[in-house]
Amino acid sequence: MQSGATLRPRRQAADRPTSFTIRNTTEITMARTKQRDWQPYGFVLPLLALEIAFVVIPLCLGFYYSLHRADYFQVTEFRGLGNYLRILESPMVLNSLWTTAVFSVFALFFTFVLGFALALHLEKDSRLNVYLRAIVLVPYVIAMLVGSLLLKWIFTQDSGLLHMVLGPLGLGQATILADPQAAMGALVFNAVWRDSAFAMILLLAGLKSIDPQLYAAARVDGAGPLMRFRTLTLPLMRIPILITTIRLLIHFVNVLTFSLILTGGGPNEATQTIGLTMYRIGFIDFRIGQASAMSILVFLFNMALIVALLRLFRTKQEAV
Amino acid sequence: MSAWKQRARARRTGEIVTAVLIAIVALFPILWGLSTSLKPADRILEYPPEFIPSTPTLEHYFFLVETGIWLPILNSLIVSAFSVGLSLVLGTLAGYALARFDFKGKGATMILIVAVMSIPLPSLTVPTFILLALIGLNDSLFGLIVLYTAYQLPITVWILYGYFRTLPRELESAAMIDGYSRLDVLRKIVVPLSGPGLIASGLFVLTFAWNDFVVAVAMVSSAENRTLPLAIYNYLGFFGREWGPLTASAMVATVPVIVIFVFFQRYFLSGMTGGSVKG
Repeated sequence: MQSGATLRPRRQAADRPTSFTIRNTTEITMARTKQRDWQPYGFVLPLLALEIAFVVIPLCLGFYYSLHRADYFQVTEFRGLGNYLRILESPMVLNSLWTTAVFSVFALFFTFVLGFALALHLEKDSRLNVYLRAIVLVPYVIAMLVGSLLLKWIFTQDSGLLHMVLGPLGLGQATILADPQAAMGALVFNAVWRDSAFAMILLLAGLKSIDPQLYAAARVDGAGPLMRFRTLTLPLMRIPILITTIRLLIHFVNVLTFSLILTGGGPNEATQTIGLTMYRIGFIDFRIGQASAMSILVFLFNMALIVALLRLFRTKQEAV
Repeated sequence: MSAWKQRARARRTGEIVTAVLIAIVALFPILWGLSTSLKPADRILEYPPEFIPSTPTLEHYFFLVETGIWLPILNSLIVSAFSVGLSLVLGTLAGYALARFDFKGKGATMILIVAVMSIPLPSLTVPTFILLALIGLNDSLFGLIVLYTAYQLPITVWILYGYFRTLPRELESAAMIDGYSRLDVLRKIVVPLSGPGLIASGLFVLTFAWNDFVVAVAMVSSAENRTLPLAIYNYLGFFGREWGPLTASAMVATVPVIVIFVFFQRYFLSGMTGGSVKG
């Protein structure tokens, strides 16, 4: 709205020279449009070149490799969709699909709920809340690797803190990272611990954009806090909620560091998510064809989520 | 009245207890790591555990220095510095063009930016490694710099685009009437006015490059090109259960990030929600 309003008069001002002699203006406007034609492209060119070279082309290469047998990066034979079939028949991959689904659902649920709770709890800009928001964000801003490493030190079987504390309570066999379900719990904890603050920030931005007068009006009409949350906050937060959910989901489905560092995918592949499986096939077994096929499948899945996300961004911008 | 006072006090206490609990959950693993890194090796596994080491020592940090942690630190600094510099220069150009020009393909460029911002990096590592191996940029710091720039340029452009749009155009048109070219305008007028936007996006690239593990672990194989997170990962395989040096190396990687975060908090937030820096 505002930018449109300020744009108009300026454009007219720029066009004003048309009232001078005709020969001059055509020259001027021609020079100007010529400049306008190439200049923005020159400015955007490095960006486009880099993204095409290092995001688009790799994906195309990945697709080419996914159709071939390519162990240790040597393309040897054309396989067609063979790699895709092999991937979808591999017990390791199928198991990791299941693991990823379990991990994503639990991590998403707890991260979202905790993030939303934090956003609501810390919404007011009191001094305490501002400090707390910063503190909660610390696990998010430090390296993912370091966070998982520090949690591993707490959860670890032989000497970890949790083991020490639980031991004397008769829970001496509390071998968290050695038990499949407990290890999954630790993995989910890692995700919640790190990413709740991320959800909080996204949701907080949404909460802040709600007109406080609406709440005041609802209060005058006698709506209690729960009622206000249900009838005002939730519907008005629909798009921020969806954006947060999708961004978290994309992250959880793909994340590699948590399981690589904290559990190593174990015990017995119980926490081996897709990201880790792909890493194993590609960088440990060097079956590049199959790893590429998996990358392409995961990428298509991600693209579906990203397209949904782009749509949401657009509706959000239109709403504003 | 006293009942009201009591209720207010109870509420205040409840608030503080919740705050302390939240802070403990968030910070405890980091503080525990710090505590471990300062304990002598033979007291790390001591029972009952000590939270504040009674005999603090820097032996693990000295050990890291002896085993040459300065090289990965230097590598991380180099990679981070060049990634930030490149991203800011290229991001300023593109962000400015998007903020000030209308051109064909602008919408598509914006969509590309948001799409690349959303692509999760683990899903790109295998194909990207193929490309780097083909053009000979794998296992090199330069390759990492180029990749980090490509991955962080979209968010840089996005933040700067949002920032440039808040700057008044009048100054720029005045300068152009005085004979400045677009590039002059950008260099001498827009950039000096864009401190907050540049800091926000620069910090974003900086923490990304400093923290990144997923991209580096796939692209770098030789010891002399390891960045700090890779060195820590290598320690994890090498020292196994020696948590003294491990937690010490974790602290070396973490403390700078936390310090920067504490000083520049508000800039981080603007980047995370994807735009609008308030100066």
